[in-house]
Amino acid sequence: MLGLLETGSGFWSAIIWIVLVLVIGSIVIYIRNKGEDSYKKNTEQDKPFISGNPEESKESSHLSANHIYWGFTEALKGYYNPLVKMHTGNINDYSSWIIMLTVIILIVIGVSG
Amino acid sequence: MDKVKLNKYFERSLWVFHLNTGSCNGCDIEIVAGLTPRYDLERFGIKLVGSPKHADVLLVTGPVTGKMLDRVKRVYEQTPDPKAVIAVGTCGTSGGVFYNSYNLSGSIDKVIPVDVYVPGCPARPEAIINGVLQAWIKLEKLREGMKAAPAK
Repeated sequence: MLGLLETGSGFWSAIIWIVLVLVIGSIVIYIRNKGEDSYKKNTEQDKPFISGNPEESKESSHLSANHIYWGFTEALKGYYNPLVKMHTGNINDYSSWIIMLTVIILIVIGVSG
Repeated sequence: MDKVKLNKYFERSLWVFHLNTGSCNGCDIEIVAGLTPRYDLERFGIKLVGSPKHADVLLVTGPVTGKMLDRVKRVYEQTPDPKAVIAVGTCGTSGGVFYNSYNLSGSIDKVIPVDVYVPGCPARPEAIINGVLQAWIKLEKLREGMKAAPAK
């Protein structure tokens, strides 16, 4: 399990990986500890700088999905709006769509067959 | 001024965050003039930074407008200790001609503690540089104090 695994494009050794993680991790911790040690925790010094504005809650600072797809729906409005109209939320409408599409498919199969 | 001591201070770069709390931009232009080749503050390691979290000194211009009141306090609190505040310009030091304006919270020292005052409308680059120097000396004294009695 801890041996050297050689492949056509290189090798993999768990021991080298662990040693590298320890070495790089130690360097990162050393550099981090060299930073500003007079920082006061749980104060404004601990919060991000947003041009002096207060930090908003995570919920209100997130973009909701309809914002992300705004450009997409705007560009495809002509195609998208009729689709929205079709989604009435009425199960009878959806059943009618299934029946109509099934009839069309059967006719196509019947004609081509 | 103790030249030897000043040389010791220059071993460490001084990073400055510039905050406009409602200035007409006159003082801000003079601050930028201090960085141009004519005065070239950066040769001493003094430079403007984009975040108060990286700064040693706050360089504040303008009277504090109502909209900026919370933001000035927040920026001051976000600056790591030890820190020094320089109020630049007549408006920053006293409110200037706007001192009793309805939309002002007053001069900078009414909102946050100010260490150095640089008057002038606008303040000359030489005066701003001298103000930064005074703040630097004060900051180094604070640093030495913190080293003698480290914060818990």
